[in-house]
Amino acid sequence: MVDPRMSRFSLPVAAFATMVALVMATGAVLFARKIGFDGGHVRAFYFGSEAGFAPPRSLAGLLEVAVPHLLAVPLLILVTLHLVAFALGVRRRPFSLLAGITWTCAAAGIGAGFAIRFAWPWLAPLKVAAFVGFQATMLAWLLLLVAAIVPHPGREPRPGFTGTADAPPRAVR
Amino acid sequence: MRFLVQPNPAVLDRARPPVRVFLAFAVLLLVGWIASRAAHGALTPEGLTRILEPSPGERFGPVALWEEVHQGAFLYGFLLLTVGSLLVVCPVAPRLRTALLATATAAALVDLLAPFLPVAWPGIPGWAPLRIGAFGVAMAALLAAVALAWATFGREPRRTDG
Repeated sequence: MVDPRMSRFSLPVAAFATMVALVMATGAVLFARKIGFDGGHVRAFYFGSEAGFAPPRSLAGLLEVAVPHLLAVPLLILVTLHLVAFALGVRRRPFSLLAGITWTCAAAGIGAGFAIRFAWPWLAPLKVAAFVGFQATMLAWLLLLVAAIVPHPGREPRPGFTGTADAPPRAVR
Repeated sequence: MRFLVQPNPAVLDRARPPVRVFLAFAVLLLVGWIASRAAHGALTPEGLTRILEPSPGERFGPVALWEEVHQGAFLYGFLLLTVGSLLVVCPVAPRLRTALLATATAAALVDLLAPFLPVAWPGIPGWAPLRIGAFGVAMAALLAAVALAWATFGREPRRTDG
């Protein structure tokens, strides 16, 4: 069964997880179509290409993409991690490790575009690695979230939860 | 976040003002979203076809379609989570709450995914009216959920609904 403290929130959390999965999937397609997964394509995206009649990216153009992502990506990570901690009470060390990778990849993914364009073009593989790392860890978080709301016969609420059947739990310290 | 979904009446009473302001902004977002689609001509089948239907040879559909779904899923996700979680601690019948959220979620998915029908099956008819209808249902369900949360949040202790 689903933890009774979580069951009331199952529907909104399931809707959120579904929509985040769509955000991640469409993000991957957009990355593949607009930037590409090899260093040459990434550099061509930022420095333009004569063959494709594409001009180099301007600072204004990079900021136009980065600024909304600087709000949306941390918000998405914060809420997803909060829900996983809220729902599963995962142990602190693995939680912190995976969270650290997610945050690092998110920061590197957003910052790498500026670094490639204005500092060192050979950082292009970092952009790809950060994106892949971010996608992979977000997929892991979503799977953990789904595991918390899918009924498991015989599963008992994990020890260490705070709260009662009427109050939401907190993460295990 | 836990502060806002505590079933304690005193806590809910303190949380009511910020929750109501948030819900007012949620209404503005939904109305603005409808107005934005209308301004772009996306509330008529002809306009929608012009914006999102793939050109011949465009195998994966226009980039604009993927960008719109990317942004739309983000908005829907946060609206469904926040409004749905607030409704959980409102004195609302669980069936009504579940019906509103399930309708909004299903309609939102149809709204987001319907434009991919002509990508998968070029020339398929009816996808544009389907998307416009689904968007209407999603907006109506979300507006109703917001109104319900506005009217009932913190009004009385939450009933135990399992």
